[in-house]
Amino acid sequence: MCGIVGYAGRKSAQPILLDCLKRLEYRGYDSAGMAVVGDGVRVYKTKGEIAALESEMPAIEGTVGVAHTRWATQGRPTSDNAHPFDGCRNQVAVVHNGIISNFVELRDALVAGGHEFSSDTDTEVFAHLVEEELGDDELLDAVGRALKRVSGTYAFAVVSSGRDEVVGARKESPLVVGVGSGENFLASDVTALLKYTDRVIYVQDGELVRVTPDSVTIVDADGNEVEREAERVAWSLEDAEKGGYPHFMLKEIFEQPSAIHESLLGRIDAVEAESSFLNGSPFSSVKIVACGTSYNAGLVGKYLIEEFAKMPVTTQISSEYRYSAPARENPLVVLVTQSGETLDTIAAAREARRRGNRTVAIVNVVGSAITREVDHVIYTRAGPEIGVAATKTFVTQLIALYLLAIELGSQGKAITAHAKRSIISQLRNLPRAVQDVLNQADAIEALAGKYSGSRDMFFIGRNIHYPIALEGALKTKEISYIHGEGYPAGELKHGPLALLSEESPVVAVVAKDHTYEKIIGNISEVSARGSPVIAVATEDDTEIEKFADDVIYLRETSPLFSPVPAIVALQLWAYYLARARGCPIDKPRNIAKTVTVE
Amino acid sequence: MKAVILAAGEGKRLRPLTVSEPKVMIPVANRPILEYVIEALVQNDLHDIVMVVGYHKERIMSHFEDGRKFGARIEYVVQDKQLGNEHALSCARERIDEDFLVLAGDNVVDAQAVGDLIRSGLCPSALVVESENPSKYGVVTIDKGTIGEIAEKPQEAMSNIILTGLYCMKRSVFDLVDQCIRSGEYGLSHALRAAISEDSVSPVFSDGLWIDAVYPWDLLELNAAALEKAHANTAGRIEKNVTMAGPVGIGEETVIRAGTTIYGPVLIGEGCEIGPNVTIFPSTSIGDSVAIEPYTTIKNSILMSNCSIAAHSYVSHCVFGYGVKGKSHLMAPGAESFVNVGDEFFKLPHIGSIVGEDTGFGTGVIVEPGTIVGSGCKVSSGAKVTRNLPNRALVT
Repeated sequence: MCGIVGYAGRKSAQPILLDCLKRLEYRGYDSAGMAVVGDGVRVYKTKGEIAALESEMPAIEGTVGVAHTRWATQGRPTSDNAHPFDGCRNQVAVVHNGIISNFVELRDALVAGGHEFSSDTDTEVFAHLVEEELGDDELLDAVGRALKRVSGTYAFAVVSSGRDEVVGARKESPLVVGVGSGENFLASDVTALLKYTDRVIYVQDGELVRVTPDSVTIVDADGNEVEREAERVAWSLEDAEKGGYPHFMLKEIFEQPSAIHESLLGRIDAVEAESSFLNGSPFSSVKIVACGTSYNAGLVGKYLIEEFAKMPVTTQISSEYRYSAPARENPLVVLVTQSGETLDTIAAAREARRRGNRTVAIVNVVGSAITREVDHVIYTRAGPEIGVAATKTFVTQLIALYLLAIELGSQGKAITAHAKRSIISQLRNLPRAVQDVLNQADAIEALAGKYSGSRDMFFIGRNIHYPIALEGALKTKEISYIHGEGYPAGELKHGPLALLSEESPVVAVVAKDHTYEKIIGNISEVSARGSPVIAVATEDDTEIEKFADDVIYLRETSPLFSPVPAIVALQLWAYYLARARGCPIDKPRNIAKTVTVE
Repeated sequence: MKAVILAAGEGKRLRPLTVSEPKVMIPVANRPILEYVIEALVQNDLHDIVMVVGYHKERIMSHFEDGRKFGARIEYVVQDKQLGNEHALSCARERIDEDFLVLAGDNVVDAQAVGDLIRSGLCPSALVVESENPSKYGVVTIDKGTIGEIAEKPQEAMSNIILTGLYCMKRSVFDLVDQCIRSGEYGLSHALRAAISEDSVSPVFSDGLWIDAVYPWDLLELNAAALEKAHANTAGRIEKNVTMAGPVGIGEETVIRAGTTIYGPVLIGEGCEIGPNVTIFPSTSIGDSVAIEPYTTIKNSILMSNCSIAAHSYVSHCVFGYGVKGKSHLMAPGAESFVNVGDEFFKLPHIGSIVGEDTGFGTGVIVEPGTIVGSGCKVSSGAKVTRNLPNRALVT
């Protein structure tokens, strides 16, 4: 998982590449590098963040170049292993995102042919391959031939000495072309380019692209030229700025009321409509497939669909689903991914199609890879999310799952028209229920300060709030590095109780539903071990303060909808824990936003 | 020339509407007050703005960002403690190197008012207007074409000419501002007074629009004025037998159900559900995701986003904050009445109620004219609200 950019224009490439690279830093940040075409290809690279590259690099002239920010998957994060790579003759420079799976054989062959390697990476073989193929030929053709020898996943950007062009190629890793005037760009992600242009062309799998200052040429795997119009990106650069908040994560947490509004917009009509994308071939069950935070959203979706549609639902982690045995069923497969580029989930979508199942993707990024792999797409419309810890994309995934559950419920005649209206009106209340939590941010900050010295923390919930406990634990470990564990409250006695002590606070998400008595019992078990209990409960719960040491109150919301304000409270909890501990919140160590490796 | 916009204050006299956002972000005609100020500058080709922010600064910064969407380039300066306009202005000192404009972010001005000041070519100068009720404001006398005396909210006004808070100033004013701050004076007119003693400050009269929002009911006046000029684009879905007269703006994905009657100027935001058989009278603004149920009547009011008003209700001359919920038969009429804000009392010719965000009313609640209801209150069915309520009050 890395970020790549390329520039071909008439301005000095170095400052533009650095600027674009900084906007990709969320994709990885253990080393960075740049190559600028001049007399030969000049390569600079360094371990550490992009700021380190910026300060160590001399000013260099040249109007064409590529740059890279890395998150190590193959070879340690050192400056030798940083991209770009040149070959032996300093004629080409290559940046890469993805994995070359046959690189060991390729490297052995190249070494036997006299090539010398400077790194442990898979990427370097490609630099040598292109060098071998290049000669006086066109760079595009040389890259095309080199690609034929490579298997794996990639987005490449390549420059070569004396040519004012950048050549790119894509297979299963994102790559977009930014179309400017007198300049053109390549990048892993649109956000890198928004300062310079809002016109982009999405490169498709198997395609190659050549950008020069004045032209963009796309060819398919067979070398035939492809005509494709540039699209306008609706996101603006300002969307990607922090807006007065100290971190993107906090900004994004505070954007959730409007993100929910956006994702609900227009759904009244959709709910009233007679036709549905679910019409057509029947299915009797639902399988939700996702990774990480999206998986936790999927688990909430399981409870919702079971409640509203009375249909059996299973959930599975994408990388597990792919290799599981197909059962004798014909489920609707729902794939949840915020970026739409998560490789495990894309592979799962392909597997579901191969099994002949209908597929629906719940995704935030329009035009992302998964949208081309599925039968139907539900967009979450959260807008761009920069903080590595997913917040508003998670909450809008929940909204999409509520809508899907209603849709499935009315298809299967499991809910009445009246119930449907009542659900819609409850959904409309959610932005304010979330705002109410946000208004308590100061109090949550104070509370988090009190517990920020903990090494371990447990999160418990029951029923639809169990996945919220999981997600609260995930947020906490991601950004505060506190060891957070989520459990169904009833499971504590089957093991984890042994770990509890005065030093391990327990966060209990408490719903005023049929599980209330039970979770109060669980809280008492925990208190008996001396662990402090922090409850997240609704205002109408007048008993809870007798059992918990501290309470974060949510506005009175029916239990099926309180997962939304509850997770917002836990997002703030995790955020302020991390802040009290001085963690790099928007860029936690070792993790990257979109995981495009398996 | 740069413009400094003072947008750091809370707006205490507008409570409870400023619980979660600063005064300058309160919507009138569905746009924050501050947008009108920025628009007036941009229409006069003033694009470089220094914005002094403080109270809930994130609300402002995440809305305007670097100003590009509004045709401006905005730099932000943070005033950490709200010590008055003079101190706020001094925060902008480092960003200013020539003559500059100063505006209050919480006053609605139009392009003409700003243009009149710029076109006068006079500096230092102050935009002044004639007022029927001068003693609410800074009153000035004019002596040989320059501003003579200034009196802040005088008991007996010595003229009907008042300061609008829109000035053109020289950079040297910062020295005067600093002197005043050192001597413990924080109101902007003190610096102006100091400027008068050093230099002559020219009054510039304007027929342009200028309205100050000091008290909640001022918002209704602002809203009505802004609606006169608002663009009435109609999107959304309009069912059969809907009557609309005058300019009516309807946002994307809003549904106006059968039998509803709307007399413009009225603005309705995105994703609302209005009707069937609702009546909306002029000078009403309705935010996003608002639901209004059958047989309800709304007159000359502001309903911010996420409000919902159930069937058979009557809301007139009211300001309802975000997410106010009324069950059926809510009566919130307007009439002549006394209103109490802090330790001040006002007799207003026609006012309904002011309701803070997320307050909920049960079935058949009556809210008497002139009451200010805090945010997050819960009023049980059948109750009658006869006096102001603090935030989070419970009425059974």
